[in-house]
Amino acid sequence: MASRTSKTDREDWPGPRVNHADFAARLAARRTELHLPEAPRNAGTHRTASKRALLKAIEDIGGKW
Amino acid sequence: MTTSPYRPEFEAALALLAQVSERMRARGFTRPILVGGAAAEYYSGSAIATGDFDLCSTVQPELEEEMRRHGFVRPSGPGKSTRGWVHPELRLGFEIVADVPMDGNVDRAHIMLVDDFVPGHSFAIIAVEDLIADRMGQYASGTARDRLEQARLLYQLNSGVDKAYLDRRIREESSGDYGISDLED
Repeated sequence: MASRTSKTDREDWPGPRVNHADFAARLAARRTELHLPEAPRNAGTHRTASKRALLKAIEDIGGKW
Repeated sequence: MTTSPYRPEFEAALALLAQVSERMRARGFTRPILVGGAAAEYYSGSAIATGDFDLCSTVQPELEEEMRRHGFVRPSGPGKSTRGWVHPELRLGFEIVADVPMDGNVDRAHIMLVDDFVPGHSFAIIAVEDLIADRMGQYASGTARDRLEQARLLYQLNSGVDKAYLDRRIREESSGDYGISDLED
C-alpha cells in the first residue's frame, strides 16, 4: 500500500508515508481496473447531534457536502 | 497528467487540513489525524463520499487556535450547538471528535503520513486497515449494514494492506465475529 520515502531531511515519521500524487494516481488506476461503481453515500443515521448541527451550519453558508 | 479521483470540494478541505497540520508541526505539536468518513473518502478516491470531516488531536486547544487562524469559526445561533468548526469562505467544516483514533486501539506505527498534498504540506491519516476494521465493527453491531460494502470497497482499492494487522483489527472490532476472509467473499 504505502511506499516509504528515504529522504533524511524530511520529518521523522514512525509509520508509512506516501506521496499524495502517487497515491491518487494508483487509486485512480485501481478504480478503473476494477470497474468499481460509486458507493452510496452514508445514510447519516448514526450521526451525533453535534455532527448534524455542523452539517446544517455548513449547508447554511452554502457548502455542498 | 493524471486526473484526480477526488471531488474538488474534498480536495479543498484536505488542502486546508494540510496547512493546519503543517503549522501544528512547525509549532512543535502533534499533527491532527484524519479519521472517519473523510478518511474513507481519501482511501477510496471519493468513491465513498461523506459529509463528515473528523479529526483526532491530543492538543485540541492548540489545534482549535490554529484552525481559527486559518479562518474557521464556531457556528452560532439557535440549533447550532456543535463541537464542529466551519470555514465561511471555503464553506466546509471540521470536527475534532477525540484525542486518539478508535479509543486508542490503533497501532500508531500504522498511522500514515500523506506527503505533499500541496508542495511541502503533509497530513496524517488513520491506517486503511483500522478504517476497514472500524467499518466491520459497525457492520457487526447490526446497526450499519451498509458498512460491509464500504469495507470491501476499501479493501479492493488498497491492495497493499497489512493483512495480518487487518485481520487482527477486524476481529478486535467485531468481537471475533468477522475476519479478513469476510472481505473476500
